[in-house]
Amino acid sequence: MMTAIRNNLPVLVVVAPLCIGFVLPTLVRRVRLVETLVIAITVIGLVGAGYLASLVFSGGGTTIVYSMGGWPAPWGIELVAGSAAVLILLMIAIVVMPIALFSANNLSHEVGASNRTVWFYTLYLLLTGALAGMAVTNDLFNVFVLVEVATLSCCGMVAARNHSRAAEAALTYLILMSLGSALLLGGIGLVYIITGHLNMGYASQELSRIWQDYPRVIWLAASFLLVGLGVKSALFPLHVWLPDAHSYAPSPASAVLSGLAVKGYLLCLMKILYNVFGGSLIQQLAVDKIITVLGMLGIIVGSVFALAQDELKRRLAFSTVAQLGYAFMGMGLVNTRALTGSLFYVLGHAVSKAVLFLAAGAIITASGKERISELAGIGRKMPVTMAVFTIASLSLVGIPLFAGFVGKWNLLLGSLDAGNWLAAAVVIAGSVLCGAYLFPIIRIAYFEPAPSRDLQDPGMPQKVGMLLLAAAVIILGVVPGPFLELARRAAVDFLAIR
Amino acid sequence: MLLRKLLINYPYFAAVILFAVGAVIVLTRSNLIKKLIGINIIESAVFLMFVAAGNIRSGVPPILDQTRPEAVYVNPLPSALMLTGIVVSVSVSALALALVYRLYKAYGTLDARRIAEMRSEVRNR
Repeated sequence: MMTAIRNNLPVLVVVAPLCIGFVLPTLVRRVRLVETLVIAITVIGLVGAGYLASLVFSGGGTTIVYSMGGWPAPWGIELVAGSAAVLILLMIAIVVMPIALFSANNLSHEVGASNRTVWFYTLYLLLTGALAGMAVTNDLFNVFVLVEVATLSCCGMVAARNHSRAAEAALTYLILMSLGSALLLGGIGLVYIITGHLNMGYASQELSRIWQDYPRVIWLAASFLLVGLGVKSALFPLHVWLPDAHSYAPSPASAVLSGLAVKGYLLCLMKILYNVFGGSLIQQLAVDKIITVLGMLGIIVGSVFALAQDELKRRLAFSTVAQLGYAFMGMGLVNTRALTGSLFYVLGHAVSKAVLFLAAGAIITASGKERISELAGIGRKMPVTMAVFTIASLSLVGIPLFAGFVGKWNLLLGSLDAGNWLAAAVVIAGSVLCGAYLFPIIRIAYFEPAPSRDLQDPGMPQKVGMLLLAAAVIILGVVPGPFLELARRAAVDFLAIR
Repeated sequence: MLLRKLLINYPYFAAVILFAVGAVIVLTRSNLIKKLIGINIIESAVFLMFVAAGNIRSGVPPILDQTRPEAVYVNPLPSALMLTGIVVSVSVSALALALVYRLYKAYGTLDARRIAEMRSEVRNR
């Protein structure tokens, strides 16, 4: 039994949440049971992902390859749990569990009725499974299917809020996402037409041999894939859907969308660019420069827009655009340290932004105030909520001993390695701007006179969820060792393919 | 020469035209239902490209035939993949139509521009 689970772990982390997700709607009258079940499965998922990561980590760079249904690679679908995959799996598991805890008994006021919370959890687990699948899959068409599962469940989670703006945001999101999907499928089709393979490894070998014969098709495929996945992961000028979708979603959904969903697409883009096209080919196509420049623009423009917002969740949503810019910038700099920084920053941002959205949700639920200017004195009324908010803000700004710093430091070193002084300057300017839009919230919350109304921290599960995530922010910042090593190995693996 | 290439590869040419038509509809029409139709046209274009890639002229269906060892089989994989693609496309359309219905109930119109106007009026008040 145990060996069966162990041997099938790469597929179980994907399939288990999907199966449980489809069982939940049968328990629609028993919301408490569903909540317990979801928390239990996320805890099990954390154990599973941790075990898989320990196998890969202690194996010293070995990757676990799993053939679906026993069919070997060029014919069957292949799952590969390498360093990048387990890092992202760990990220998903670390963020998903506290958010499930936060949602317990806390959703019905945002989604309407209690039976709708059950459907929300179904979407939540579907998204989790799809993201885990994106992390481990090594098959191009499988990427498309999982991206679609994730997109539909994200869209459903945005629309779950009983508010007409949420439906509108969800529809805009869905229209842009389906354009992205069509482009992604077109790009995958072009790669398949010229290489004859859907497996990333085989496609990459074939592509490195024949790419000079099809210069225009390669261009077309790369641009389709870049725009298709760029829309989904909010690459700078394609981010227009993100602020609405992330700010009108229910708060736990905002946390998981901003923290995890966009990262899944980002990882898919990284895998396709580095594992299929390969570092040298994307440099010849100048895709790396495009991504770096768009990432830098995203950091600056996203931060400036965030500064201009007065609605708390909207400011955090624009901040996500800016922070994703860092990940893209590192991806485009094509060197080990920048890629390490990019992957670690993805992890650090996932935990920090999840905390920020959960805390914002708790504040809005308790006070009914959505604007930053109305939050005076809330730090003294809701000490735990504001404390975790402060920790996560410090992490995003990049203060040492918090998760965000480690990622930004490696990105800074990486941009110096690449000889790109502008990128280094943008990393620092982005940090300053991030402080400029997050610290005023903390100042208003702590140092302005408190309102007379009686407010208090949310209930026990919510507090524990937020504190667990805040603890993860600090642990990643103080002892980043194993995670940083995984990110470094992942970067080396990405760059090894030429 | 170029014309000859286009004529030989007419399925791909048709896919490009369909893609462009769909993109124009999505970008220029403000009626939400028309936007969804545009998306479906774009997706059909991609499906057409995939299926055309699997086809071989004068190829036979990919069922092993011992009596004709010289037969060239068409590639069944792209068609099988596009079945999945069509299922995905149908579910996206279903979800989108459900959302459009919800918006219609809230605002009483299908026009994206009108909805944006009504929303900004609410905000300014």
